[in-house]
Amino acid sequence: MTAHWFTYSLQEALASLGRQRVSVMLSVLTIGAALLVLGGFLLVTVNLDRAVSTWSEAAEFSVYLNDDITPEQRVALNTLLGGHPAVASREYVSKADAGVRFKRDFPDLAAGLADMPQNPLPASIEVRLNPARADGATLEAFARRLTGTEGVADVRFDRRWLERLGQIASGVRWAGWILGAVLLIASVLTVATVVRLSLHARRDEVDIMQLMGAPIGLLRGPLVVEGILQGGAGALVALVALYVGYVLVRGRVLAVLGPAFDAASFGFLPAGLSALVVLVGMAVGCAGGYLAARHVR
Amino acid sequence: MYGRGIYALRDVSLVVEKGEFVFLTGPSGAGKSTLLRLLLRQELATEGSVKVAGRDLAKLTPSQAQSYRRAVGFVFQDFKLIPSKTVLDNVGIVPRVLGATSVQQQRRTFQVLKWLGLQHRMNAYPLELSGGEQQRVAIARALVNEPALILADEPTGNLDPDLSLEIMNLFRDINSRGTTVLVATHNRELMRHVGRRSITLDHGHLVEAQ
Repeated sequence: MTAHWFTYSLQEALASLGRQRVSVMLSVLTIGAALLVLGGFLLVTVNLDRAVSTWSEAAEFSVYLNDDITPEQRVALNTLLGGHPAVASREYVSKADAGVRFKRDFPDLAAGLADMPQNPLPASIEVRLNPARADGATLEAFARRLTGTEGVADVRFDRRWLERLGQIASGVRWAGWILGAVLLIASVLTVATVVRLSLHARRDEVDIMQLMGAPIGLLRGPLVVEGILQGGAGALVALVALYVGYVLVRGRVLAVLGPAFDAASFGFLPAGLSALVVLVGMAVGCAGGYLAARHVR
Repeated sequence: MYGRGIYALRDVSLVVEKGEFVFLTGPSGAGKSTLLRLLLRQELATEGSVKVAGRDLAKLTPSQAQSYRRAVGFVFQDFKLIPSKTVLDNVGIVPRVLGATSVQQQRRTFQVLKWLGLQHRMNAYPLELSGGEQQRVAIARALVNEPALILADEPTGNLDPDLSLEIMNLFRDINSRGTTVLVATHNRELMRHVGRRSITLDHGHLVEAQ
């Protein structure tokens, strides 16, 4: 019976979709628009999460030194860094090296640096951390201790802004969920309306089937399957539009973020999430179809 | 009974034997269609009971009601064919919906269409058919599941006298194969021609049962 139900429902749903192409197209586009918004937020947050994760693995302290740091102060600082278990390695970057890096990373601004009477960039020690050896609180305390050490001008701890970035990603994600949920509810109602139009067009057929003793599942099945097909099609439209948008935007994003962003880590939605978008679309369609099918009693 | 104390049928007590051919007659508004709707379980009696093969229709569960309807064929005055489906699909929808295999559907549908002389019109759409042909398609649809009971509500109401006679002869043939047939009509000429028992209703009352 299940195979019969599915075959019959699928055939009737496809025939019905073919009969009312315009309203079905509108419904598919509505679902597509809703899922495009949801997918867009997902794409942004997935890439933000990837970036935060990548940068977290490469998290480091940059300990900026006073220009007048004494050899004794430098020895004391090195001793402090060398004795901490979270420090994986460290590299001294002289004022001259800092200038070279600046010119390499920001070629447009290089001329301005050359015009200055003396190099304003401080020397620094870049400290690569081993996150497995210390938790966030310990590293925070260590950063404060370094800040108070003589000869140190400032300490930049990547993890602080990474946490802020993570909070922003979380905010974007929630905004996406809320906006997406509103749009998906609208989509459910749109599908329900279109499927009800289909039910109206098939009213005589449904009445006759009821009189001949057709099971209620067979009467409602085509309507629910019709909704599922609309939802699935809407999700595919959304994914295609999202991918086109991603390809168009990718180059520009990488051009702006440039050296701060690993191109390999900026990608499209993973297969699992893409499948989830399709499933959500089908679930939305199913809900809309079921709402309409409830009118068949 | 409908609202405000108006009775569509009242004090109607009758028995139709298995394998009988019975006419329901009476003027418009007499309650013929209501009685057929009760027998088709489209409506439930507010008082009294309607029993078919010993089972009270009001007491059937939804799934029992579905099973019951599968044993009943129905024919309406306005045919109630699906305009977007061919003759073959209009008739074949019954075995298809009830889960017959594709081969069974085709065999049963073709057999009944052939019996009713419609095999050459299988691929036509209802609107391409004459009134008589459309009614024969509706009868084919009612017969394809080999029901024990056929209910027909003014099946010749939209047909000319010759076609009406042809349709009545078909019902007689169907009845001769053992199927119980109940036909609502106010065409006394046809009733005389077929010459079977008739039940006359008027204003919801049983006035004559011959």
